Amino acid sequence: MISVLIGTVLFSVGGLIALFLKEKFKSIAFIVVAVLAQLFILPDVLQILLSGGHIEAQFYFSEPIGISFFRLDPLAALFALIISLGALFTAVYSHGYMKMYAGDKAELSSYYFFLGVISSSMFFVVIAQNALFFLIVWEMMSLASFFLVNFEHRKEEVRKASIYYLVAMQIGTAFLIAAFGWSSAITNSLDFNSFKSVVCTSGTHAIFIFILFFLGFGTKAGFVPLHTWLPKAHPAAPSGVSALMSGVMIKMGVYGILRIILLVGIPDYRLAYGILFISIVTGVYGVANAIAQHDLKKLLAYHSIENIGIIGMGIGLGMLGLVYNNTLIAALGFLGALLHTFNHFTFKSVLFYGAGIVYSQTHTRDIEKLGGLNKYLPLTSILFLIASLAISGLPILNGFISEFAIYIGIAKSFSIDNIAINIAALMGLSGLALIGAMALLCFTKVYGICFLGTPRSEFPFMPEEKEYSLLLPMAFLVLAMIMIGVFPILAINMLASAVGQFLPDASNTGMPEIISLVTTISTSISIFIFFIISFFAIRTFLLRKRSVQIFKTWDCGYQQESSRIQYTGSSFAQPILQLVAELVPQKVQVHKEQTLFPVHASFESHTQDISERLLIQPSIHFLNNFLNKFSWIQSGRMQQYIIYGLIFLVFLLVWIWGGR
Amino acid sequence: MTTKILVFAIVCILPFFFIGIINRTKARWAGRKGASVFQPYYDFSKLLRKGEVISKTTSCVFRIAPSVNIAAALFAILFIPIPFIGSIISFPGDFILFTYVLGLAKFMLVLAALDTGSSFEGMGASREVTFSTLVEMAFFIVLATLALLTNQISFEAIFAMLTVSAGYSLLVKMLLVASLFIMLLTEGSRVPVDDPNTHLELTMIHEVMILDYSGPDLAFMVYAAGMKMMLIALLIANLCIPPYFPSIAALFLFIGVLVLIYIAVGVVESLIARSRMSHVPQFIFLMTALSLTAFAVVAFFLRGGFS
Repeated sequence: MISVLIGTVLFSVGGLIALFLKEKFKSIAFIVVAVLAQLFILPDVLQILLSGGHIEAQFYFSEPIGISFFRLDPLAALFALIISLGALFTAVYSHGYMKMYAGDKAELSSYYFFLGVISSSMFFVVIAQNALFFLIVWEMMSLASFFLVNFEHRKEEVRKASIYYLVAMQIGTAFLIAAFGWSSAITNSLDFNSFKSVVCTSGTHAIFIFILFFLGFGTKAGFVPLHTWLPKAHPAAPSGVSALMSGVMIKMGVYGILRIILLVGIPDYRLAYGILFISIVTGVYGVANAIAQHDLKKLLAYHSIENIGIIGMGIGLGMLGLVYNNTLIAALGFLGALLHTFNHFTFKSVLFYGAGIVYSQTHTRDIEKLGGLNKYLPLTSILFLIASLAISGLPILNGFISEFAIYIGIAKSFSIDNIAINIAALMGLSGLALIGAMALLCFTKVYGICFLGTPRSEFPFMPEEKEYSLLLPMAFLVLAMIMIGVFPILAINMLASAVGQFLPDASNTGMPEIISLVTTISTSISIFIFFIISFFAIRTFLLRKRSVQIFKTWDCGYQQESSRIQYTGSSFAQPILQLVAELVPQKVQVHKEQTLFPVHASFESHTQDISERLLIQPSIHFLNNFLNKFSWIQSGRMQQYIIYGLIFLVFLLVWIWGGR
Repeated sequence: MTTKILVFAIVCILPFFFIGIINRTKARWAGRKGASVFQPYYDFSKLLRKGEVISKTTSCVFRIAPSVNIAAALFAILFIPIPFIGSIISFPGDFILFTYVLGLAKFMLVLAALDTGSSFEGMGASREVTFSTLVEMAFFIVLATLALLTNQISFEAIFAMLTVSAGYSLLVKMLLVASLFIMLLTEGSRVPVDDPNTHLELTMIHEVMILDYSGPDLAFMVYAAGMKMMLIALLIANLCIPPYFPSIAALFLFIGVLVLIYIAVGVVESLIARSRMSHVPQFIFLMTALSLTAFAVVAFFLRGGFS
């Protein structure tokens, strides 16, 4: 355990060292320390993941924290692995990416410092077993990420977004404080294990406490309708940070929910259905909104919401399996959730890193202005394509495996003779299919419009790939995607003990069945790859001695080819957006030229997030109005404050005397 | 083993024959003599012998997409039960891999269309993904209904458990057949969703996406499209007749049913016109509605949700 703790603290130390170094050594120092941290962390983490068991350490802090356990069990180890790799990859990526901001010495110092703080605090989040300590490191994580989002604080929209983010995080933490406070008031202890007696009873308060936990962790994870911070914060942050936040930090919310479920044991059926339902809504809502976006990073942020929905569906399914005492369904559900958590880390990081490269080379995130980038950025383009295929859940890549686990778990629940779960399964199956199909639509749009065709606007300079430190982390992650996609058995073995934690009987985990299933899938996918390769070989063979002319695109004989006649992202997405107009309302402004010879016409469309409009804004409005009624308390006049002080002193005196 | 391979080989060369049947049906209906049912084979072999013209805007995506498409179509057929030989690959949840492999093919097809930078192909790509999004959801409702009806989750097991009986289960089957027939028309790009015979690029979905293909790549794409259509027809045929007669006669019965399905497609194409693009989603929602009804019938009447 001690080596893991050393590794954990090392990240912060790296940030601290970077603070005092010269600008060009900051990133290198941080990378060196991050690599060193891996050496301390990974052996223990991998060993626990592969062979189960746990390690723990006990620390005595001064009151009010008191005795605090740090425990690394398989669930924590999985998240520790994600954090560790995520922090390292983002550090390497930042080495190249932050050159864009060369000269901002103060900003760069704080960047690496807070990168260290966020990595360490996320580590502590997953190993902490003491409620108060947990809340402290949780808050540290939120604050550090706030400073990272606020990196370009000279831009107004960045400041606005980061303040919004900070407030959202505080609201989430408030729910958590309430939940932990309530639990520890009942048990008179701060240790997680003692909360077991609170949440696993069938009383009403157990359900309320669970809901509070879900609201708190769900805000971090981005469950609808608490997701509104994601599409604001991600575009504002530098790309490496977006990747770290989307790939790793929002998973801390997932971790929290899973940790509570571990304490609950067999959950109440209403909670299981509730989580499944909210997750389906989250998934569909996220992807539908993603399709409408023009901003590349905002679009990816909405996809994070979608993927949290998929992870949540796995969690809900696992809980339903526990409720109906079906181990296989429970195992498949939790396996799908955990594997998708890891998978989402891989492909979403690559996508955000890729978006960062696009932004740094074209200085725009507007999809409508991009195009043809695969000719300028060939490697980025291929890595981005593979990640797009993976996030759409298509076979050969890892996204398919985790979605498959959830799919098959849902399909298995049709054999349970209960109309409620059958209907829930129907919703789950068709919901997941809809999410998958819409994700496919969205990523054909992203990749097709940004990377294929020809540029839709003039780039400020010729985009090129000169920084290999940007591509290195992406290549590693893409390799992991392909490995898990073709040999899922590797991932299943890693996750088996973490999944086993959720099941009531450790000897009956349904794992042999799952393993034989993924072996078949592995073989089938290999056959498929063989088919693709052989047909491509046949094609190459056929064209070997024939003429292959390179000519312009067929455009019905039109002579003036122009990149502006290409289909745009908005028009590509328009048919589906028309169908989901209730879910994703669009404001369209059309300016038509009425004269005989049109010279100027314009079209603009903006999407509104309905949960922002219907839930968040009205509640902020209400709070503003309500709290305004008390604004006379803060008048700003010194005399009044002195009176408050006097009243307080008098009250205190009365109280003390009264107590005698 | 040899017979298995033989039957499989026959099934693999059938798609063009069925396309020929549709064309023949339409010709007869219009009072023409029509081309031979083997015409698509001649076209295919001619394409294979040609060179290619490739757009200068395209990249490797454009070159690999046809191979992925034909591989996916041929791979998908391994999952569908065929009388006399059964499914070649079968495991619980194989229908998910089936759908997603076809999804991968669609992804590459759409990207290849966008790769050319042509506005026509972008238009076709946009329509294709939109309609297939709707179809995919409805298809999973069909699968959910079958899983609920039979308690099985692989194609082979599902169709083996489907017993023919009167009453509700017959109703369910009819609803599902109707639902899959809509899917056949949509995914096969036939009237009323799409018209494979139009020559103006503006009116099409599938044909416009492959405008820039020529030679062997076009041959692959044409074959993949025919095969994809046949996959759904095979599912319908599996619903219509109880498979697993151990005799070769069942195979001929099966092919007979397939011929009937394709004649029905030809008749539909002769009788009605292509609907407006904005009306196509309504047509696909009919598929969703039919399959949901089937699910409700199974859940409430056959599984006793009311009791």
